[in-house]
Amino acid sequence: MKKLIALILLTVVLCSAFILTSCGGSFDEAKIISVVTREDGSGTKSAFMEIIGLKGKSDISGVIVASNTASVLQEVESNPLAIGYDSLGYVTSDVKILSVDGVMPTIATIKDGSYKISRPLNIVYQENRVASEVNAAFLAFLQSSDAQSIISENGYVSTRENTVPYTVIPSLSGEITISGSTSLKPLMEKLATKFEEIQSSVSVSVAGGGSGTGYNDAENGVTDFGMISEAFNSEKSPNCTYYEVAKDGIAIIVNNKNTYNNISSEDLKKIYDVDAGEKAITVWAQVTK
Amino acid sequence: MKSSTFINLKEKGMRFVFLFCAIFSILALATITVFLFISGTPFIAKTGFFEFVFVMKWAPLADEIAYGIFPMIVTTLYVTALSVIIGVGIGLLTAIALYKFCPKKLVNPIRQMINLLAGIPSVIFGLFGMTVIVPFVRDYISPNGVGYGIFSASLVLGIMILPTIVSVSLDSLNSVPSSYYEGALALGATKEQATFKILVPSAKSGILAGVVLAIGRAIGETMAVIMVIGGSPEMPNSLFQSVRTLTANIAMGAMELRGDALSALIATGVVLFVFTLLLNISFSLLKREKNDKIKKKESKK
Repeated sequence: MKKLIALILLTVVLCSAFILTSCGGSFDEAKIISVVTREDGSGTKSAFMEIIGLKGKSDISGVIVASNTASVLQEVESNPLAIGYDSLGYVTSDVKILSVDGVMPTIATIKDGSYKISRPLNIVYQENRVASEVNAAFLAFLQSSDAQSIISENGYVSTRENTVPYTVIPSLSGEITISGSTSLKPLMEKLATKFEEIQSSVSVSVAGGGSGTGYNDAENGVTDFGMISEAFNSEKSPNCTYYEVAKDGIAIIVNNKNTYNNISSEDLKKIYDVDAGEKAITVWAQVTK
Repeated sequence: MKSSTFINLKEKGMRFVFLFCAIFSILALATITVFLFISGTPFIAKTGFFEFVFVMKWAPLADEIAYGIFPMIVTTLYVTALSVIIGVGIGLLTAIALYKFCPKKLVNPIRQMINLLAGIPSVIFGLFGMTVIVPFVRDYISPNGVGYGIFSASLVLGIMILPTIVSVSLDSLNSVPSSYYEGALALGATKEQATFKILVPSAKSGILAGVVLAIGRAIGETMAVIMVIGGSPEMPNSLFQSVRTLTANIAMGAMELRGDALSALIATGVVLFVFTLLLNISFSLLKREKNDKIKKKESKK
């Protein structure tokens, strides 16, 4: 008899644990939005905050801090009330992507600029630098179809069309130095490796330092190219021009049970703005459909 | 002759090895302490002790930089206190049940299972908390639809510290002479009265030692907490609100922050270290008091 009771208890515990993990509650507009953000120092976070106009502000009260891309997805996937943002390339179908101001983030909308929450990844350089054959060749490589396929393979949006393969220049040798944005650095390293592979006697060194370093180094001629992960601002380096290597889209994601399909950029800002005061949006019902 | 010098040498050598082993752990402790204080205290001195410990805002990368860890200290204390209440409440009663009220056949299996609980890695507790406790709290318990926070963290930590409390309390209950219990029964006390009025007070100092050990574990736990606490560095106003403990603060920033912000994290470590140090001192004081009592009793005899 006791054994039977123990057995029944055990089954109940196991079943309830199973039920708890499988059901995730429902979407209730009247409840507080679970705002998910990334930790300080994340490149995605700084880009996102800058694009929606909250650069340099601290987080709102009650924000859930996910320490990497995967945990943003995990949280949004399991929490019906959550909203978060993630680099477009990482987002899976377990969450719902919201359109922003009526525009879905796709390669096409990011390319033509109608989807706003994307950032250009640029390189800046002085015109006279590309007079050198090796730098000109690297720039040509960045515009080639070889570079575009690397860009798309790594989840970035290639903005070039009708590109042609890179034509190898025999006996090209030299050194190329690049520094700046840490957001562009991983992609640039892949591109640089490929270029070194094609042009075996050229060496490319890629260093970080942030977009500010990118502007300064290019302007002062410290490096050949500076990397910046924002729209080119000619005031920061007046003697330079820029080339857009790729675009990086940031998707606004919510739970699949969420009934919203769209959010305006104003509402998005009101959700993430610590200084919004009375205008701040804290529950889903305040978001305009 | 030759063999005796060899034995002599061997003995000396071994003595050195043992000595080294004994010193090694002390060396490790000293190195960690020195590292923490050398790299942490200059930052505290630079920001100012009060600016660091009593300011409400932590924003190492914002326009207006602030390195205040007060909200994290408060959260740590809240989480520790609540988890110890949960853990001690359940753990002590479990120990009493195992000691007197449970069928003898079940005592060992239950004890073994509780010990097994101690062997589960904390990240598994965190995973369980994140995928089961947090959604459950969010959907059924929380008044505002937030599952993260002190409540979930304390629940997870309370389960984590159960084994410590159960085994230490059970040991100290077992060490109470059975004549106390039998004497109480003989005087007409019920089983419950004898347990709660005689046994538990007699085992008090041992149980307290278990509680202090549990507090130590709860204060230092990082991984399980980070997954269920939410992570927002703000003052806790509710049990259901995303907040951040000292350990979570260090773990979240250590890989991302550089320069001053990283020094701020090490300084956070110093504060945490001081906390655990105070805890350990109080633990050894408790122990000494217990030993003194025993000695006094013996000298009376």
